[in-house]
This record gives sequence, structure tokens and C-alpha cells, in this order.
Amino acid sequence: MEDEFDDYQDVFSQDGVLLRQAPSAYIQYINTIGTLYIWETLENEACHSKKRLLEWKPNDVTVDSDVQDQEWAVVNTVQKRVRTLSGNLPPDYYARLKNLKINFEDIKSFRIANKSRQLTFFDGTSDSICSLLFQHGNCEVLVSILRSFLKFGPSRRDKHLFVIYDADSPEYQELNKTFAALDFKNENSLWTLFKNIKEHPYEGSLEAFSKVTNYVYRSVDANEAEFLQQDDLNRSLSEIDDSSTVHSGGDYELVQKLPQLPKRKDFPRCRPLTEEQWREQFNYEGRLEDVESIKTLIFRGGVTPSIRKEVWKFLLDYHPWNSTSAERQKCNSTKSEEYYLMKLQWKSFTKTQEDNFSDFAQRKSLIDKDVNRTDRNLDFYAGDNNFNLTTLNDILMTYVMYNFDLGYVQGMSDLLSPLLMLLEHESDTFWCFVGFMNKLISNFDIDQAGMKEQLANLYTLLAFIDPFLANYLETHECANMFFCFRWLLVWFKRELKQDDVMRFWEVLWTGYPCQNFHLLVGVAILEQERGALMENNYGFTEILKHINELNGKLDMSLMLNKAEGIFYQLKESDHLTDNIRFILGLPLLSQQTSANHSISPDSSANHSQPRCSVDHVRISPESDEAVYDRSITTNFL
Amino acid sequence: MRSTTKNPLLKVVILGDGGVGKSCLMNRFVSNQFDEHSFHTIGVEFLNKDLDIEGQTYTLQIWDTAGQERFKTLRTPFYRGSDICMLTYAIDDKMSFKNLEMWRKEFAYYADLKESNQIPFIVVGNKSDVSSEAREVSQLEMETWCNENSITSCIETSAKSASNVEEAFKMAVQHWLRLESRADINETHVNDTVDLSKKIGDSNRMSCCVGGGAAGDDDTNN
Repeated sequence: MEDEFDDYQDVFSQDGVLLRQAPSAYIQYINTIGTLYIWETLENEACHSKKRLLEWKPNDVTVDSDVQDQEWAVVNTVQKRVRTLSGNLPPDYYARLKNLKINFEDIKSFRIANKSRQLTFFDGTSDSICSLLFQHGNCEVLVSILRSFLKFGPSRRDKHLFVIYDADSPEYQELNKTFAALDFKNENSLWTLFKNIKEHPYEGSLEAFSKVTNYVYRSVDANEAEFLQQDDLNRSLSEIDDSSTVHSGGDYELVQKLPQLPKRKDFPRCRPLTEEQWREQFNYEGRLEDVESIKTLIFRGGVTPSIRKEVWKFLLDYHPWNSTSAERQKCNSTKSEEYYLMKLQWKSFTKTQEDNFSDFAQRKSLIDKDVNRTDRNLDFYAGDNNFNLTTLNDILMTYVMYNFDLGYVQGMSDLLSPLLMLLEHESDTFWCFVGFMNKLISNFDIDQAGMKEQLANLYTLLAFIDPFLANYLETHECANMFFCFRWLLVWFKRELKQDDVMRFWEVLWTGYPCQNFHLLVGVAILEQERGALMENNYGFTEILKHINELNGKLDMSLMLNKAEGIFYQLKESDHLTDNIRFILGLPLLSQQTSANHSISPDSSANHSQPRCSVDHVRISPESDEAVYDRSITTNFL
Repeated sequence: MRSTTKNPLLKVVILGDGGVGKSCLMNRFVSNQFDEHSFHTIGVEFLNKDLDIEGQTYTLQIWDTAGQERFKTLRTPFYRGSDICMLTYAIDDKMSFKNLEMWRKEFAYYADLKESNQIPFIVVGNKSDVSSEAREVSQLEMETWCNENSITSCIETSAKSASNVEEAFKMAVQHWLRLESRADINETHVNDTVDLSKKIGDSNRMSCCVGGGAAGDDDTNN
């Protein structure tokens, strides 16, 4: 830490600060507790004024990557524009960001809420830079420290909003008591400003105010009403960004005019892939001819149980889709050899070795405990001294040897159990499990970054499909979506009966119709439950309880039907943001636009025109005047 | 659920290593059921249960969490606003006992406790039904650890045999009452608590520990 701030000294720090909102690049740290610092430059003759910055650093330093601790990024306007092009970012972009740093110059205003427990910084373009929740005490100490570095005062419109005065603003000068000494001749603009204030006190001061804060205060007149109706604005209301409409809780109301999604279509599930359909796709070498149509059939209806054993090996990347039967046979024997070699490694540990290898011993002990409480209600795993439990145990132990960095994490036994039950073959099951784990490995990240990202993505999707429900969750402290954790960690394994689990997983394994389709299933379930949640006015605990108690009650075919309907609604929607496109793996607007120059567009979803959008509009209920808080961004950058 | 809104609601969080029996303790207490092979918890779950103490009914909201270290960041947000924390280990698992320290710190850090000396901890050694050969933590060790950490309530339980489970939750509430009475003597339920404190104070010892099975006969097992 000190290395990063050679020229800086720490003037203030406060721990127990939870990151409530932040630019999307920091999404994995949302709801993480950290420490807030103020740094300032050391005395330096070359520099007249001291530079100061705020830094928020997450507490959890268990991430063992050196890179993460070394690199951090400055949050500024440029950074945020870049974010919309996230498709072009290097793969480790998010991982490299860690500490959130805000230069004092970038803070234009801040808002105190929740009995001084919440502090939100704004950059003056209506975007919040970040929002912090003070778990220990409140932000009053921090604000008093800020007062010694910055000049600010409460906004006229919102007594909880504090506006930082620029050095050349009248308020700043007033505070410095140097007003009389001002050389007005050299400050033409300032002079005009004061003249205006004198002649038209109301409008003049508003103008001054707007110059300081970039906030525009206007009454709702005919022009505004017209403005509200503009299509771009409507679009923007659904822009679910790190600081967009549905996040505005508390004193603000959502403007309830939302863009229409295309009508939802019905996608009833079809007949499962039959043995006949499957067999006829193999050529004389035993190679599958038309993989895509097979996958489509599986996505639409799953697989007939009699051929599951065979098909799953393809779906889980154990057998390559383009392999011949001879190649598969060879694969089986070499992979089997490899498996038993790894199994032998841990089997041959001596007692002393184990005692001296606590990491290993701990994993072994937890696997032993969890195997004994995985699907024991099913006949296949029931009873004492059941051999299948031993196999379950051995596969998990061998996986520890296969991927020691990951080892064993709770939830993995749930993923393995249906595979073993179906395949009933140790090494085949192991390799299929490896394939499954490769698809879900980020669920088991040591810092749970993958799960946090998924929960955040689930919220983003929900906010686009059902902003009212999303807003409800936000105002009931549920926007973190923790209550969906179990769904996502083990792909609804705990919510469904074993037969449904098998059907559901094989559908998801196809990767159709888009990536993260399981999140759309989550959205479909939440949408189905919205009445129960909102009409009963459930709070955080009731929502958690309600969702936990859905297990065994979900109609998986219906949910898949709805999720597919949602997917096409999104895909065909003309206001789909890059944010959502990125989650679903759809082409980004920015990429499409650049592609337009060389390739002719093949779909109406292409936007060749740069689009302006207003990020959000807030109306203060405290007055009859509307407060517009706008930022114009284009997706064409 | 019999709970009425009038009863004081106490939030109880059960913490401890994976497999020590957190969910089993909760299920035994709430529904008097025990399933040795019930699923390990993923995420967080909670159940409500009413408990009568000295004529007053309390509604306990019992929070059960996943024990693996990995899930820390998704578990800790639930600690805030807790009234009682049950630090749980299994008496046949030395490591789970050693990890109590980690759990204590984790809770104290994230629970947003107002005063660090008023920590509502109770230590529960589960699986007291195991044979004395299998025992790895003696009752004396438990009491010593509690004394070192200024924790005044500890108990050995067995969710399997239903031994001391209800007592553990009662003890937790009584412990909370003592803290409350100290924290604010003007609280309405002060009359209840004064009596309870006297009862415990009579024995003139700091800890209030109740053993489950054959205790302290296996101290050599380290």
C-alpha cells in the first residue's frame, strides 16, 4: 500500500465501509466491506497546492494474485466512457482493478443519506462515482475532514446534497472572505453572473448554481413535458447502469414511463432428443454429422434417458463433438488411465504425509462430511456403507489432486451426484465432472467474485425486464440478490427433483440460446413470484425465506419456456444496452457499428446511427419543480 | 409458526465449521427433527421459533449459514443486527474447536457490535452423543477457552439425541437478557433479568457451563 503512495501521506482512514454502488468495473466489490482513506501529497516545493484523493480498498485480501494488489485505477469521466466498450477489454481487466480511487477534483457534490450512514459522491454529470455505507458509526467524521479540504454547502433543493464550490465560484469566494478584493475587470464572466443575480435574483442564482454543479434546475413546463416524451429519454430509462434510475431510492421517484419490450412469445418445450434422431446423425466413422441440430433438439426438449449416458459425454466435453468412435474409444482408455494415476496419488499418502499436509487433510475431512449428506434421500445414495458414496468421495478427492488450487468447495458434491448416478462409471464420471466444473468454475472463486458478478448480472437483467420488481428489491435492501445464491451456485440443483435437475442441466449445457441463460431462468422465476413478494410487502428476511421455500415447487419446463421468451424479448428489443449484451454474449452495439463499415448488416438490431441517451431523470418530490440531472452519453464513442 | 408480533424478536446466528451440526441444531430445536444425512447448507437459511422464558415468550429468528471459509463474503452481511451468536463446534473434531477463535473474530468484526465487551456469544459443543474414544475436545478445554475469551455461557449438546438443545437456546436468551440488563437497566424486561442474573451469580463463578456426555475423561487426546 505505501509503495503505491510514495508521495502521499494518509490523513484519514475509516474501516467498515461497504461499497454500495460503484462503476461497473468494480461490480465484484459491490457489497464488500473495505477501508476508506484520504491521501494527500507530501510538502513539495514544485507544487503549490496539495493533491488529495479518496481511496476505498476492499478488506478481503485473500486473493493471492500479486497483480491485483499492485494495480488500481483512477475513476474519472474517461474511465466511465471506456466502460461501455467492455467487450474489447483484456480478459483480466476486472481482476486488475481493485482499489477505487477518486481525485478530489472529480468530486462535484455528495449526498448524505440514511442517518449519515450512506454517502454518495457525484461527478457533476449526474453519474454517481460511488456510494458508500458506513458500517461502523457514520460518515460525519469523514465529512468534517472533507470540510477542511473542500468548500461546500447544502444544495437549495436537497438539504442532504452538498455541492463542492469551485475555486472561482461565488460561494467559494464568499467563504474565503475575499469577495471585495476580487478584480472584476479580469473576471468578466463572473461579473456578468453577479450582475444577473442582482437583477434577476432567482434565475441568476440558478444559473450560477448550474455552473458550479452542472445540475440543471428547471420547472416542469411544456418544453419539459415534450422532452420527457422523446424517444431517447424513454430508452434511457431502461438503461441499467451503475447509477441508473432503478437505483435511485429514497427521496427520488422512478419516472414511470418505460420503453416497451417486444411481446413475449411462448416457447413450449419439445419432445426430448430420441435415440433414433441421435443414431441417424452418426456417419460411417461414428462421427456426428450435424452437431448444431442435435444441440438445438437438446435445448428444446432435453435427452431421452436411454441415451443420456452417451450424450452427456459430449455435452460435458469429455468426448469431442467431432470425434470418431475410434477416437472416443481411445479417449476412454487414456483418460481412464490418467484418472487412476491421480487417484493413486492421494490413495498412497501415508498417515504422516497427511498429518503434515493440513490443506489436504482439511479438504479430505470436509469431503467426507459432505459426501455423507449429499442426496442421501435418493435410493442410489441411501443407506450406510453405500458403495456409491465411496465413489462420490473418491472422485471428489481425485478432483482435489487434479485441481489443487481449487480443491473442494461446498456445492461441488451437488454437481457431481447426478453425473455419477447416471453414468455409474467412475472415471467417465470424473471427466464429465471436470467438464461441468470448467463451465461453472468461477462459482467457486476463492473471493466469490464469480458469484458476486452473477448476482449483479441477475439484478441487471431483472431491472431491464421488470424495473418495478427490481426497484422494489432495491428499496427493500435486496438488490444484492443474495437470496438467489443457492440457485446460481449449483444451477438450481437444490430447488429441483433429480429428474428435473438432469433435464435442466442438459438443456443448459448446450449453451443455447445465449450465455448465462440460467440467469434468465432466475429472472423468469422472480417474475413469477413478483406478486407474492410485492403484494405481501416482503422485506429482506421474508424474501429470503420465500425464495428458499420454493424448492420442490418449481415447474422447470415452464421456467425454461419463459426464459426463452425473455431471451427473444431482449434480443429483439431496440434499446438493449451493451451491458445486457455483454452478459448474454450478444454482439455489442459498438462492435456492430464498426462492423457496418465493412460488412453489410444482417439484422435490424444494428444501430448505425450514434445514439444519444440521457442516463437518468430524477424528480424531487419535495417541490413542484422537477430536477433534471442529466448526462448525455453516446454509444458511439 | 405460532409467533405473534408482540413477542420480542431475537436474531440468533449459528456459526461454526462445516459439518459440526449447525443445521441439525436448528432443526432439532425448531421442529424436533433430526436427519443425520440432511443436506449441507448452501447460502443462508433461517427459521423462527418461539421460546418461553420465565413467563415471557421470545421469538427466535435462527440463522444458519454455510460453514466453509470460501463463502465468507456472502455470509457476513447477515451478521448485522444479531442479538446472539452461537459459536458451534463438534466435540469429536478438534479443528472445529480451534476455529472458534476465527469465527468469534469474524462475527465481532462484521456484526457491527456497539460495544466490544458486550458480545452476545454462547459456545456450543455439539455431538455430545459420540463415544468417549471419539471425543477430541474435553469440557474443561471448552470452559478454559470461554474464560480466556470472556464468554460466560457454554454448553455441550447433541442434536442427534436431543440432549441440551433447547437448553442451549434458552441459555442463549438468558445470556442476552443479562447483557441487556447491564446495557440498559431501564429496559422493560429488567425485572426478569435481575432475577436470572442473581440465580447465576449465586454460584459465584463467571461461567455457566453445562456438560452433555461423559465429560473431561479424554483430556490426553490432543
